[in-house]
Amino acid sequence: MNSEHRTPRRVVITGLGVVTSIGTGAAEFLSGLRTGRSGVKPITSFDTAGYAHANGCEIDDFDPAEWIENIDPDELGRASQFSVAAARMAVTDAGMEHEELRRRRVLVSVGTTDGESHDLDTLMGRQLEAGPESLDPGVARRSAAGLLSSSVVRELELTDVEAVTIPTACAAGNYAIGSGYDAIRAGEVEAALSGGADAVCRKTFTGFYRLGTIAPEVSQPFDTDRKGILTGEGAGILFMESLDSALARGARIYAEVLGYGLNCDAHHAVAPDRDSLAACIEVAHRNAGVKPGDIDFISAHGTGTKANDVTEAGAIRQVFPDPPPTVSVKSMLGHTMGAASALASAACALSITEGFIPPTINHRQTDPECGLDPVPNEARTADVRIVQNNALAFAGNNAVLILGRYEGPEPVGSAGRPAAGQGAA
Amino acid sequence: MTSAATLDAAGPAGSGPGSTGELVFSAWSAVSPFGTGAEAYSAGLRSATSAVGALDPEAYPGPYERAGLVDGFSAAAALGKKGTRTMDRVTALAVSTVGELLERCGSSLLERPERVGLVLGTGSGSVQSIMDFTRDSLTGDRPYLVDPARFPNTVMNRAAGQSAIWHGIKGPNTTIAGGWLTGLLALGYAARLHRGGHCDRVLCGAAEEFSVQRAWLEWHAAEEAARPPLGEGGAAWLLEPGDEARAAGREPLARLLTTRFRAYHRPQDAGPALTECVRGALAEAGVSGGAVRLVAPLGAPGEEYAVLRALPAGSDPEWIRCRPLLGDASAAATGFQLAAVLAAAGDGRPAAGELSLVTGIDRDGTVGCAVLAR
Repeated sequence: MNSEHRTPRRVVITGLGVVTSIGTGAAEFLSGLRTGRSGVKPITSFDTAGYAHANGCEIDDFDPAEWIENIDPDELGRASQFSVAAARMAVTDAGMEHEELRRRRVLVSVGTTDGESHDLDTLMGRQLEAGPESLDPGVARRSAAGLLSSSVVRELELTDVEAVTIPTACAAGNYAIGSGYDAIRAGEVEAALSGGADAVCRKTFTGFYRLGTIAPEVSQPFDTDRKGILTGEGAGILFMESLDSALARGARIYAEVLGYGLNCDAHHAVAPDRDSLAACIEVAHRNAGVKPGDIDFISAHGTGTKANDVTEAGAIRQVFPDPPPTVSVKSMLGHTMGAASALASAACALSITEGFIPPTINHRQTDPECGLDPVPNEARTADVRIVQNNALAFAGNNAVLILGRYEGPEPVGSAGRPAAGQGAA
Repeated sequence: MTSAATLDAAGPAGSGPGSTGELVFSAWSAVSPFGTGAEAYSAGLRSATSAVGALDPEAYPGPYERAGLVDGFSAAAALGKKGTRTMDRVTALAVSTVGELLERCGSSLLERPERVGLVLGTGSGSVQSIMDFTRDSLTGDRPYLVDPARFPNTVMNRAAGQSAIWHGIKGPNTTIAGGWLTGLLALGYAARLHRGGHCDRVLCGAAEEFSVQRAWLEWHAAEEAARPPLGEGGAAWLLEPGDEARAAGREPLARLLTTRFRAYHRPQDAGPALTECVRGALAEAGVSGGAVRLVAPLGAPGEEYAVLRALPAGSDPEWIRCRPLLGDASAAATGFQLAAVLAAAGDGRPAAGELSLVTGIDRDGTVGCAVLAR
């Protein structure tokens, strides 16, 4: 049996690929975060007749052909188009040569809530009109959730690669990034393209609408007058590699992944659980070797529903005697479902690199029941060393990711990791 | 990519001894067209009689005339009426499969529920649930007059999440999708999760439902020449360190040496990619292909030849071919293959020290395998 012991590698983020309603590409996304841009507009991707209100955060200027070179975009559903475009962007942003990447062993992990449910909506529309015999084979073929990750492999022509789609709903981005981190940390792969993707669809909009959780106009996380979510879309893919690898190629390091924590409420199909989320935050801190006082800001799940925000704020106050600023980028991006925590991770990485905290926009009055500083409406300049990114999903799937600034050989956490495994740099 | 290397550091949340040591399969079960439970599955494989039968065209109007159904299965019949009114078929199959597995694990398994993970592969979830929900929106008096209790069925983590809720499993809870390779990918993910220290032991498996809607999508998506009858069901197993399995009175059935995946970009490269994948896996595990005595392939064209090419000349392993017996179980297919290898292990095959392989070639350009040792 092969059971050699390996020194854990440190894991860094060196490339960002983002497709969002407030900007595509790291530079545009950064500018959107800094200026508190809003992606809200009326939904056009399906017929919204009959709904009293139907705002969302769609991407109306996305041309897949601009980003995707090796696949006919018509062979991809909209979510896969986003994930493939974001993956290619992340590789380019990392300054990684494609030939070099093809020589490496790679993990591609893409989280999602709905896969290609936008295509499933389309197929059902066709089925109602003309019967199931008449469904478009191409659309049927591209509607499988596995394609969100395997299409990245196809576009980048990777061969020594594991492609996995992680449909753990609205926490899926953090799950995917976490798995990429574990794989690099253990030396199983030499690079990971990890994140999440989703496209706006009738099915999910309708479900949230029926639950009374779609906001009529804008998303107002942690505000007294918050009225719910706006469904959004996009993709965030991080290029991750070991610190050794990044240093050897002189790559720009956005942030170091310090660790993450997962747990499951095992309690309710849709309602979050405060104590369980608090426990997940504590697991993440322990895994990352940080203490509550180390966290410079929290990127909250912050959906803007009554239930989420008060439960999440309660969990944060349970762990943090004096909570740091706690923001929700969903105020700008809407709720991009499986992409949400991946895009929030990209935002956290940029905050660390650029020294600012993104704002929570559309904010008038903080709900005293939440009792947090949401950095209202305007970005704040700050020395950001360690950030916590929360994600929650239906069925009580929690995932909390901790990112830190790379400052040289020693990790930035105060508690420190176990003594072994620090010598990588 | 899941060789049994361990990390020097205790790893994240290194509160348990689970983050070191090799992983073993110490329990398994299945809910399949052979019936409910591991015994039914083992017996079905032994008889080698196909469980694929004629579909009732009234209940299942659609393009297929035959399928491998879990006979008589329904959420209420399997789990009782309470809590199953709106539970869809794939969720019920998952909850039942995990329940069968837990029964075989013994009651002490969930003494620390937050340290037990659950990793479940389910493809696109239930396309029937998803598309029915959209249909109700498109055909109702108002587009939002849908049944809110059925909304969670349309979110792809439903089966894994509901299994955790039903059985009280509070560790990491992850849903995996990857076409026919879903079961192998779930296994690889689960081993990585464990190695990362995120749980002490992990329940892992895959589930798929037969539905009219899935049948239509599969029919349209498949090449005309490749439309085998569909199958359904669930398979699940427990992964834990060998010493802990023995301490808990669970005799290891097999050791997980590694999982490995590769990709191909032209149809003719699928076989060579799998050959390379199996060779790589054996090399990574530090074992000889000559010790491979059992192979459970998916059933893709050229797959068996590709596997043999990775083994020494003259290799003559036993083949367990699940697809002809159970139908094409899509997301559950490689899960069923793993269960078949575990069933054989329970029957003492192959001999101690010898190897088994589970392999697959997906139509979307990926291949994968797992290497197990007795």
